[in-house]
Amino acid sequence: MKNKEKIEDIPFEEYLRKLEKIVNQLEEGELTLDESVKTYEEGMNISKICLEKLNKTKKKIEQLVIEGEENYSTKPFSEKEGEDAINGF
Amino acid sequence: MMMINDIEAKIYTVSKLNKYIKKLFENDFNLQDIWILGEISNFKLHSSGHMYFVLKDQESQIKCVMFRGNNCTLRFMPGDGMKVKVRGDISVYEKRGEYQLYAKEMIEAGKGELYLAFERLKEKLKNEGLFSEEIKKKLPLIPQNIAVITSPTGAAIRDVLTISLRRFPNLSILVVPSLVQGTFAAQEIAKKIDFLNKYFKYLDFIIIGRGGGSLEELWAFNEEILARSIYNSKIPIVSAVGHETDFTISDFVADLRSPTPSAAAEMTIPDKNNLISNLSLLRSKIIRAFKRNLELKTEKLISINKSLRYQRPENKINQYYQYIDEYSARLSSRIKHRVELYEERIKKDSQRLDSLSPWAIIERGYSICRKIPGREIIKRLNQIEVGAKIEVIISDGKIFSKVEKKEVVSN
Repeated sequence: MKNKEKIEDIPFEEYLRKLEKIVNQLEEGELTLDESVKTYEEGMNISKICLEKLNKTKKKIEQLVIEGEENYSTKPFSEKEGEDAINGF
Repeated sequence: MMMINDIEAKIYTVSKLNKYIKKLFENDFNLQDIWILGEISNFKLHSSGHMYFVLKDQESQIKCVMFRGNNCTLRFMPGDGMKVKVRGDISVYEKRGEYQLYAKEMIEAGKGELYLAFERLKEKLKNEGLFSEEIKKKLPLIPQNIAVITSPTGAAIRDVLTISLRRFPNLSILVVPSLVQGTFAAQEIAKKIDFLNKYFKYLDFIIIGRGGGSLEELWAFNEEILARSIYNSKIPIVSAVGHETDFTISDFVADLRSPTPSAAAEMTIPDKNNLISNLSLLRSKIIRAFKRNLELKTEKLISINKSLRYQRPENKINQYYQYIDEYSARLSSRIKHRVELYEERIKKDSQRLDSLSPWAIIERGYSICRKIPGREIIKRLNQIEVGAKIEVIISDGKIFSKVEKKEVVSN
């Protein structure tokens, strides 16, 4: 569970950097057999995480409706209704 | 006489007069640091970088000069027929006795009030550090939740939505409708930024913007209240106002400035397909490199195995046997050679010894005389007396004889 939270916190670009580092390490060919197996597995795992990160968000277009200073709601966005919502305050 | 003296007392040189008049101009605050409205004519940009021109209206004109140090900050190139507002001092060019305007600042007349307000606010906020690069927040590479504060009906929101979703189809976008022009627009956008900061902390960033328009239409984005709200926002702000050439105060304060709303989407939303193909490229690179690593290791193993076979003990022993055979053969041939050498030497030496033995000499016809008795070898006449007995040794025997006579033979 703790591990999962960590993945959430680490930004995509950092995983991408890690992935590039792994490619370099493997391409240099200086690793021992154990190390290269470990590095390979790590690379596969990270590329999976990256893909998950890309697909995590659901498509959602909503419109904010402000009702007073503290209350608000959201509704699906439509251009026509938008006009009425301008003067939310 | 008195008359002449009086007159002479009031005679000035020309330069003194001009200097005096110049002082008059410069001491009159009505003529210092003033704005003058007029139309440019006879404009000349000298190779020195100074600008010379005439400012005129329908009835009158005044000569103007704008030195390079002042005109280098101009945001436009002045030209004949342009209506401009010029700030400067009126003074006298003593050499010619002409008064003229020494210009320090010039703006196009049409842009007047708003432009000035813009410049003043820009200067003020800049000095306060609102534009400094260090405080600009970085946008995440993969935004998941973004908000767009703009008119819900304009082309701007349509462009942002279309481009964003085309680039990254599964994106959560919150549209926050707002006025984007008019007296209350700045205040409303500012309030909505504050609201999002309070209730939508998780947003990756907020795009604020509108399509192009006149300076007046874009004015909300030049107001201080909005600038401060952008500055205070914990969520990164992307400013996307107007067309390419329009710069607003919001652009300067925002964490990212984009020339248009469409560009804002292009700049902030990554192309998902690109990212995925990039990822799979990295993935296949990893697989390839790993495979190659394995191949290299296997090859190495095979070659080690091979060389190990060469290193077997019986191979070594056989090798040594061979060495021994080889060396013993070399050794015996060496010894043989030595022996032959010695034999040769001995033969030679004995021959030499032979040639040195007295017998060999006697053989060649020489003889040895010895006294009897005593067997002393006779080498000189004084060793022997006449009548003494001697023996003469020759090669095959002795001759016994008696000395009859001694005779000295001179050589």
